Amino acid sequence: MEVIVQVIASGLTLGAMYAVAAVGLALVYGALGMLNIAHGAILTFGGYAAFYVITSLGLPMVAGVAAAVVVGALLGLAIYVVLVHGMLSAPAFETNIFIATFGIGMALENVVLKLFGAYPAAQPLAFDGAVAVFDVFIPVRNIVILVAGILLMVATAWLLTRTQTGNAIRATAQNRAAAELMGVRVRWIYAQVLAISGALAGVSGIMVSSLTNLSPTMGGDPMLKAFIVCVVAGLGNVYGAMIAAIALGLVESTAQYLLGVRFGLATLLVLVILTLIWRPHGLFGRTQVQRL
Amino acid sequence: MDELSQETARSPRPLLVVDGVSKYFGALAAVDNLSFEVMPGEVLGIGGPNGAGKTTLFDVITGLDRASSGHILFAGDDITRAGPERICHAGIARTFQLNAGFDTLSVRENIEVAAIYGHEAPVFPGFRVRPVIRRRVDEALELSGLTDRATTPAGELAVLERKLLMVATAIVTQPRLLMLDEPVGGLTQAEMDAFVAMLARIRGEGMAIILIEHVMRFLVTLADRVLIMHHGERIYEGRPDDLANDRRVVDVYLGDGAADLIRAALDPGAAP
Repeated sequence: MEVIVQVIASGLTLGAMYAVAAVGLALVYGALGMLNIAHGAILTFGGYAAFYVITSLGLPMVAGVAAAVVVGALLGLAIYVVLVHGMLSAPAFETNIFIATFGIGMALENVVLKLFGAYPAAQPLAFDGAVAVFDVFIPVRNIVILVAGILLMVATAWLLTRTQTGNAIRATAQNRAAAELMGVRVRWIYAQVLAISGALAGVSGIMVSSLTNLSPTMGGDPMLKAFIVCVVAGLGNVYGAMIAAIALGLVESTAQYLLGVRFGLATLLVLVILTLIWRPHGLFGRTQVQRL
Repeated sequence: MDELSQETARSPRPLLVVDGVSKYFGALAAVDNLSFEVMPGEVLGIGGPNGAGKTTLFDVITGLDRASSGHILFAGDDITRAGPERICHAGIARTFQLNAGFDTLSVRENIEVAAIYGHEAPVFPGFRVRPVIRRRVDEALELSGLTDRATTPAGELAVLERKLLMVATAIVTQPRLLMLDEPVGGLTQAEMDAFVAMLARIRGEGMAIILIEHVMRFLVTLADRVLIMHHGERIYEGRPDDLANDRRVVDVYLGDGAADLIRAALDPGAAP
């Protein structure tokens, strides 16, 4: 019983973390058909932004979260301005932007290395203590991550389905030409999507680093997991990504318990391969792409 | 409104001027040095065989595609190089041959997107739909007869309803020129009649309309003037009733049988 609670708690925490990273990735792919490989680097920047504001400037934790959100959103916007705006109307956008963001991601990672050094640092924005659930002590930070993850999922879903901007984002994702003809400034919509995705990545950077540590390469693992989540869910499917993230978090923590920690990722990858053999367009994907 | 119509009555200036417009795809001229004008409130029907360049012409006017040469003026402004959203804000709206709705959005949400962004295009539209917009959406729903279907996802609509939705999203942007690409293709006779009735109401509000249609009966009953295209060029422009008597139009497009049908549609008493 205790073990089960432990495994589920840790799985949900991982899942919530992956979900926040994956939804940002899925949103950008769904709206622009753009696989943003720099997503992991934005996540790293978010974690370090919170670290800098809290540790070096001595500001409260709220300011740390705000800094991660702002830095993430600004980096998303910057990627739009520097890369997407110019490449959007050029042929083979999906391939070119994939390579370009790969480069930007590497550059950003090295900026972090230059600014903060290669040594891992502890994330100051973390909560200590534990709560007993069925005689199992669950760290407060895990609960905070889970709650924050759920809140961000709800907020994203609300934004997409209940606001006018959200309707315009969904409209643009489904039929760019028709949206333009209805007067939607699609380039501004794309810029907003990248900013939202960047903000989510920033927060997810805090979550990831509060469980492990801050390091310039910390974005790599969650980026890979987020990508796996998106592939399993069907690329560009935001709601599918939320569900798949939680499911994969639970699978990973179960595999880590039953088979050992080092088999966590391996199990995930085997599962992805099986999923793609069974459903080549992902669990929630369709042959005819239905975005957002 | 009265002031405006008086002004247009005094100085009838064309709403749309297409001046020597060509569109090349490689060596192929899809639209070849085409010129015509549309007056405010006028209905221009465009016909012609498949591949005549009709839809390409629409794409060029609405900014989805750039003209290779020539100029397009709308209400006196040069819109030849403007993007589609600017042209929409200037007052041109269009529908597509095929479904162009947003499938996962409800009928109401589809029309809302057009209502919110089509007229003034706010940078931050806010979270709630303003009452003015809501009223305009209600009007468009009513005009298109889709009020009962407001909460249905657009992906679940039948063919006629999809066509009506496209018209609703076009007119809710309050255009001065409405461009319809094969609005009644694939509809039954009764559905077509419903469509004619709706367009008559829209026309009553003083909107100019350009429509592409293969269904000649529909084209000649609605249009004030007809333009027939062939290989990107104009082969006929004039009153709908002379269409069936034009030898070239009958040869390349209509055929003798259809020409008789058009004569019959225009003058039921004289039918053979």
